[in-house]
Amino acid sequence: MKRAASTPLGRVLGSGAAHSGTQHWWQQRVTAIALTVLTLWFVISLLCLPDLSWSSVHTWLAKPFSALSMSMLVLAACWHSQLGVSVVIEDYVHGAVSKTLALLLSTFAHLAVAGVALLAVLRIAASGN
Amino acid sequence: MVELTLPPDSRVNKNGLVYRAPEGAKKPRTFRIYRFDPDSGENPRVDSYEIDMAACGPMVLDALIKIKNEIDPTLSFRRSCREGICGSCAMNIDGVNTLACTRACEDITGSEVRIYPLPHMPVVKDLVPDLTQFYAQYAAVKPWLETRTPAPPDRERYQSKEDQEKIDRPSACILCACCSTSCPSYWWNSDRYLGPAALLAAYRWIIDSRDESTGERLDALEDPFRLYRCHTIMNCTEACPKDLNPAKAIGEIKKMMVSRQH
Ligand code: SF4
Ligand code: SF4
Ligand code: FES
Repeated sequence: MKRAASTPLGRVLGSGAAHSGTQHWWQQRVTAIALTVLTLWFVISLLCLPDLSWSSVHTWLAKPFSALSMSMLVLAACWHSQLGVSVVIEDYVHGAVSKTLALLLSTFAHLAVAGVALLAVLRIAASGN
Repeated sequence: MVELTLPPDSRVNKNGLVYRAPEGAKKPRTFRIYRFDPDSGENPRVDSYEIDMAACGPMVLDALIKIKNEIDPTLSFRRSCREGICGSCAMNIDGVNTLACTRACEDITGSEVRIYPLPHMPVVKDLVPDLTQFYAQYAAVKPWLETRTPAPPDRERYQSKEDQEKIDRPSACILCACCSTSCPSYWWNSDRYLGPAALLAAYRWIIDSRDESTGERLDALEDPFRLYRCHTIMNCTEACPKDLNPAKAIGEIKKMMVSRQH
């Protein structure tokens, strides 16, 4: 149970430093760089295709390198978004219960999106040449 | 949740009292000033004062003093040095946090000069914000030299010129609170985020070559809220009337946090 401090300094010092946050901040930077590179790869690859029909995109994505890079793009995007959304929730949602619920919901949603997208890429890769 | 509207008893009545310029004023100009008196039980309001700039000093603080002396002695604001060194006259002038004593009326475009207290702080009266928490945050970073090595018996602790230069600018902070009260992260989370002014002060001691508590200081800041609520929005650096760069100092602290991990 949190003790209510009675002085201004006591309130500012609160329960002390959590000794975390650096990993989160660093991962946000690293995933941002990864996303920039992978998004560039994705756009350039699509532009290099003869056309954007279902079959040519499917054939391209079924290639091992494309499937691997696409999986990394999915992971980096979901991871970066998970980190970012949790910061936004911590910034704006202050109720203990609503904050915890929002954070859990966001984590599960990101896991679900990542899972579905990875599965789709895997299936295309497995069906391909 | 973050509150994006003011609670009903803090809403500002824009149609406050109007004080007209004296007969024969050569250069009349209107100052619209936020007024709040906790004892009156009334909502805050904005009063308009028309004053003759031909008979007034150049700075916004000169105008405020003129209003207090000649028109309305109930107007409250803090001031002391009137030369940008004490930090007491910080307020929101024409939408920007700055010092009333160094902001020239002439430089404010638009016919009216709008003056409000520093944003998102409890108001004691009129332009006087309650800075209790802001000062406690400063105290929390232990703004003093910490060493284990005893001082030399016959002299002070020496510091090279280069090492002094590192702390020269950060030491020039006058704790006016213009930066912290311009920071959106501070608005939403000042109960847990230390804010740019306190973090700049922490940085000033972290990089002091004579200090031996760098590790403990970094430990005390390593927290998702105390330090990492800064999202590099840069409002703080934009606002600082002493041209200091709290955003850069915060970035340097984050870099030190990472480099001691690897
Ligand atoms: S850089 Fe950081 S401290 Fe400065 S205004 Fe932005 S969030 Fe606030
Ligand atoms: S850093 Fe600048 S704006 Fe912030 S408190 Fe110090 S002098 Fe004022
Ligand atoms: S009166 Fe001292 S800084 Fe303005």
